[in-house]
Amino acid sequence: MNDEKLDLPQGTLDLLILKAVSLGPMHGWAISERIRDVSKATLQIPQGSLYPALHRLERRGWISAEWGASDNNRRAKYYQLTRSGRSQLQAEADAWRSLTAAVSLVLDMG
Amino acid sequence: MPNWLSDFLSEMRYRVRAVFRKRSVEHDLDDEIRFHIDKEAKKLEASGLPPHEAHRQARIAFGGVERIKEDTRDVSGVSWLEVLLQDLRYAARGLRARPAFTASVTLTLGLGIGANVAMFGIVDQLLIRPPAYLRDPGRVHRIYLTSVSDRRDVTDGFTEYARYRDFARLTKTLDATAVLAWNQFAVGVGEDAKEMPIGIVSASFWSFFDARPALGRYFTASEDSIPTGSPVAVLSYAFWQARYGGSPDVLGKSVQIGPVPCTIIGVAAPGFIGIPDEGVPAAFIPATVYGYGVSSARGRIDYYNTYNWGWLSVIVRRKPNVSLEATNADLTNAYRLSWAAERAISPNIPPVEIARPRAAAGPVVFERGPNATPVARIALWIAGVATIVLLIACANVANLLLARALFRRREIALRLTLGATRRRLLAQLLTESLLLGTLGGVAGIAAAQWGGAILRSLFLSDVASADVVRDERTLAFAGAAALIAGLMTGLVPAVQAGRAALAPALKTGSRDGTYQRSRMRTMLLVLQGALSVLLLVGAGLFVRSLHNVRSMRLGYDVDPVLYVHLNLRGLRLPVDQRAELARRLVDAARAIPEVESAARGISVPFWSTEGLGFTVPGVDSVRRLGHFTVQMASADYFTTTGTRILKGRGFTAADRADGALVAAVSQGMAEAVWPGRDAIGQCIKIDRPTDPCRIVVGVVENIHQNSLTESQKLQYYLPIDQMRPNEADVFVRTRGDASAHAETVRRELQKVMPGASYVTATPMREIIDPRQRSWQIGATMFLVFGALALVLAAIGLYSVIAYGVAQRTQEIGVRIALGAGVSDIIRLVLGQGLRFAALGIVVGGAGAWWASKWVGPLLFSVSPKDPVIYGTVAVVLLAAALLASAIPAVRAARVDPNVALRSE
Repeated sequence: MNDEKLDLPQGTLDLLILKAVSLGPMHGWAISERIRDVSKATLQIPQGSLYPALHRLERRGWISAEWGASDNNRRAKYYQLTRSGRSQLQAEADAWRSLTAAVSLVLDMG
Repeated sequence: MPNWLSDFLSEMRYRVRAVFRKRSVEHDLDDEIRFHIDKEAKKLEASGLPPHEAHRQARIAFGGVERIKEDTRDVSGVSWLEVLLQDLRYAARGLRARPAFTASVTLTLGLGIGANVAMFGIVDQLLIRPPAYLRDPGRVHRIYLTSVSDRRDVTDGFTEYARYRDFARLTKTLDATAVLAWNQFAVGVGEDAKEMPIGIVSASFWSFFDARPALGRYFTASEDSIPTGSPVAVLSYAFWQARYGGSPDVLGKSVQIGPVPCTIIGVAAPGFIGIPDEGVPAAFIPATVYGYGVSSARGRIDYYNTYNWGWLSVIVRRKPNVSLEATNADLTNAYRLSWAAERAISPNIPPVEIARPRAAAGPVVFERGPNATPVARIALWIAGVATIVLLIACANVANLLLARALFRRREIALRLTLGATRRRLLAQLLTESLLLGTLGGVAGIAAAQWGGAILRSLFLSDVASADVVRDERTLAFAGAAALIAGLMTGLVPAVQAGRAALAPALKTGSRDGTYQRSRMRTMLLVLQGALSVLLLVGAGLFVRSLHNVRSMRLGYDVDPVLYVHLNLRGLRLPVDQRAELARRLVDAARAIPEVESAARGISVPFWSTEGLGFTVPGVDSVRRLGHFTVQMASADYFTTTGTRILKGRGFTAADRADGALVAAVSQGMAEAVWPGRDAIGQCIKIDRPTDPCRIVVGVVENIHQNSLTESQKLQYYLPIDQMRPNEADVFVRTRGDASAHAETVRRELQKVMPGASYVTATPMREIIDPRQRSWQIGATMFLVFGALALVLAAIGLYSVIAYGVAQRTQEIGVRIALGAGVSDIIRLVLGQGLRFAALGIVVGGAGAWWASKWVGPLLFSVSPKDPVIYGTVAVVLLAAALLASAIPAVRAARVDPNVALRSE
């Protein structure tokens, strides 16, 4: 693991996962790859928390899981956003944006 | 779907899967992680690493697989479902480890719950549940008629066919009106002929129900038209199954119902019994067929436009959106018009202004209406009693659990210090008691199924009995009772355990020297005693009532007398031949060795009464004195029935049609008509003042004709051969109990009957018993439940005192070592038990005293505050307490001080 990677602030992992699966069904590894790629490798999801987080979100009903065949025909568990997950994503994204905007305002003062 | 609901469902889905598919979930997780690592390895391989190295690095990057799996499992959770299952397993293991405890609790709760389940089934059927298949039960009523008679309001649920027509014609607020009546008829011919209840209903009756016929059809208005109707019959499903084996070719066959051969046109829906007042009908026939049959046998086909034969109930359905008040006003208006129409025919009835006729739409089930017998009220009382038994059972079990909780104090304290939350502990204790409640519930259903049959036969006599296990209402009630019992028994010990202080419990040993008196346990014990007293007082009151009502003199003998009814089944005999037949029956009866005497009569108490207008020279309007009833009787009548002749003589063979005209009167009539004078030798003129004098030759005792509580004082007797009535029945007096000889007598007399006609022989006891049923039920049920309560309370007391003695072994050892004698120790223990009992007697006695004003009306010449009963109950309870504490007392006296003091 790379020490230069940023630590994820509390609660953002859920937001990132929800956002990732909002683009379509994907399995766990793809989710972590997608987040890493899009964030230009700045955000790396600690593998140790990915699966507990996925199961937690599934339990809340925000994502649902289904077994399917992957590209090379292996059994893989695909996660996708549910309807309540979509509104949760909306709410969390809004909260995140207003939080970061406020934090920037404070940092930019003076 | 609302959000919270979909959240909840997804959570449930997830958890259920997590619990029940634990192995496959685990497997899925493995697969998922392996897939991830393989994917990562593939990526690394693509960047040029050798496969082996790529796999190694991927695994390292992923981290500790087992830890991650553990974390994931934590999220998916030890769910509450799993906790519950764990608690259940824990509780079940605990209960299995102590089979004696579990069995006794199951039995105790089972008896309590079973009593309640059985009583619920009865009360539900008597008072709550609408008749099966009834459409819009809220709008369906029976009409109850009230008018002033003897300056008193009299309410009646029965009326005439003409009145039914008036109601149908003169009302505006009703959707439908129907006739409902009931009678017992011989069904079939020859060997198969058997008396069965028959429903007598109008064609409109069927429209009150949503019950399609199982076969064929119901009868139509054209088959139920005045005057004669068409002789058709609809069989009940049960009768069709029993008699015809459910064969579909019964349609069109003929079945003899009473005097009428009826064509079977249909079979009612399964379980359809209409509105059964007095029995489950085997078949239904049109009201007009019955009305015509009966009135033509009397020689006048006028049942549909005269008002002197009330045999039916009127059932109505209100129009929707019409209030009950509006319907009642409408019905009363119709009744007033109908009354006026009746008065136009019979001018001797009082005018509307005096009689003030009122009609009201009341409960459709007779037992829920104003004319209900006390049976329904007594059923409610007994249901209350059953609740009390359950309370005692719960108190008992709570006490046992409390005792166990005290034993488990150390275990509980230890678990609390090890980090178990109080909530978890409470949940565990409650789970245990709920499990016990469930066991009790199952036992209760079994008990209700088995013992309920006996109860049902007591209360519901003829009405179809339902299966407890197959009746969802009763099952739901059993479930609720089990749940409540589980909560009630579990709550007290759970709360006490939750309050347990840690340190002291851990520090002291399991036997901590000082005896812990729990106020809660004392209260539970006193409560049990008090409730037992309440029930035993009730039992005493009802037993005394039953004894009083049984030993009351009715004015005739009950046990040795048989009433033989002649059923001619449509055979038309001239009056003289009919009288001759009855005479031959009397002769045949006399020839039977078991028979002491026999006589003819036309009416029998409680079943039929006759009235006949008469005048007395010198007395202005005897009607003013009240309602007179008449019996026409042959020689030996008074000897046969056992009615005592107080003065003069009874009738003899010499009182023939050509003999001197005579009469006998009851003592009450003698005093009312000829006050201060001798009735013997006075003159009665039947019907008109121009008739010849009938000279009173005898005065006999008053008899109970229609009521056990009031005797019919105004009754007179005329020689049957001087009156030539249309009908005559036979009374037979046997040596010893008549019910033992009923069949012999019936068979001998049957030989005399011509053609398809037949006789029935009914012991007077069977006629009287239903009138005494409410007291019999009260006495039986209070006794059974009272005894049950006493046993439960005694067991409760025993277990508490025995437990106390076990806890105080050390203290008792010290006392003995210090010189206390055996009698001191025994007195110490017994005194404790008796104190509990005394407190229970005081509290329960006060409760019974307070409840006496409600139970009073159900009793029979017993004061609800009878001191003898209260005293007896006190003695019984003290004796039970003495017995319950005697065993622990003896055990206490045997304590060896050496052992007791050394043991710690």
